[in-house]
Amino acid sequence: MPEDELLATHLQELRRGTVVLACLLILQQPNYGYALLDLLEKYGFTVDANTLYPLLRRLEKQGLLTSDWNTDESRPRKFYRTSADGTALAQTLSHDWDELDAAFRSLKGES
Amino acid sequence: MTLTDRYVDATLRRLPARQRPDIERELRASIADAVDDRVDGGTDPSAAELAVLTELGDPQRLAAGYADRPLHLIGPALFLDYTRLLATLLATVLPAVAAIVALVRAMDDADAGTVVADAFGATFTAAIHIGFWTTLLFAFIERFPGQHWVINTWTPDALPEPPSRRLRYTELVLETAATALFSAFILLTPVVSTEKDADGDPIGLLSPWLWDTGVVYGLIALVVVALGFSFARYYGRWNVPIAIGGALATIACSILLIALGANDRILNPEFIAAAGWSDDANRWVYIGVIVAAVSTLAHSVTEAVKQVRKG
Repeated sequence: MPEDELLATHLQELRRGTVVLACLLILQQPNYGYALLDLLEKYGFTVDANTLYPLLRRLEKQGLLTSDWNTDESRPRKFYRTSADGTALAQTLSHDWDELDAAFRSLKGES
Repeated sequence: MTLTDRYVDATLRRLPARQRPDIERELRASIADAVDDRVDGGTDPSAAELAVLTELGDPQRLAAGYADRPLHLIGPALFLDYTRLLATLLATVLPAVAAIVALVRAMDDADAGTVVADAFGATFTAAIHIGFWTTLLFAFIERFPGQHWVINTWTPDALPEPPSRRLRYTELVLETAATALFSAFILLTPVVSTEKDADGDPIGLLSPWLWDTGVVYGLIALVVVALGFSFARYYGRWNVPIAIGGALATIACSILLIALGANDRILNPEFIAAAGWSDDANRWVYIGVIVAAVSTLAHSVTEAVKQVRKG
């Protein structure tokens, strides 16, 4: 396996699951698919459209997001918002992320 | 019909009907948003559409994402159970099928070629069926909605027993010695014999037909190949190809012997006459060969089961 491909695989493994947390945090403010894609990219989370769109529906099905159709504008859009369950999960995941960060820091000899 | 229409259609076609209207509306809006974004950036509209759809990728993959369908036939949770079951079935059923078909055909007094061809044909068909149905079963389990199937929860009890290497080595030495004696005996029969013809030349115990057709060399080759697989099993790691290869060599050997016995191709008629044996000699040899072949097959089946269980 070429070196950059290997690196890409490791990065993908490490980042798997971070998109879910990012979505739950960003969607405290209601937003729709394409804008969310754009926003995630701006914050530095790389995710493909064909991964994100099905993911939003999966999270909705799990009760972590709620959705509403906004038909005020000429183009109707489905707005997602983090539910109470989603907020609770986001807190748990954030906490876990912080613990991992602390663990890495102590591993590297920082205090 | 625009490119987007075709893309959306291709995606929706693979989704349950009740999900379609909602996903269609959202997908169209998302594509339109992405296209608008690119057009605002100065891209030509049709080029923008092409780029957006290219980025979205294979519609079938997108639909699998929406429907939460796996993109593999058999996933990692089931794969080991799948290969174990497949290996067990192949290693046990195939020799049994080969033996039964060869026996039945031989009892019908079919000629050697028919016995061998039918036995191999049946074995091949059985192998295809086992492979197909087992795969289908597991692919179905993989797709059964809302269930997480675990056929076997692994515990340390399932660890292989430490094999008695000395015992296996003894077996290997015995098998090697048996193969060498068997081959030497067969190859020497034409030149070393208790009976001589009028010219004082030895009359071979075994049918000259075996040498004329070269079948005898095929038989010896099979025995040697089977021995080779035993060595591979002893010195290498046991794996499915070696197990199946060894089983096939044993099956081929047994079938060939049964077929030869069925057609009175083993003993030399001249030898029977010269030694004054009764005409029943052929029948007794045939029965002996069948007993030996069947017990060899039974042995290789039980060995395979043991190995697969440990593997």
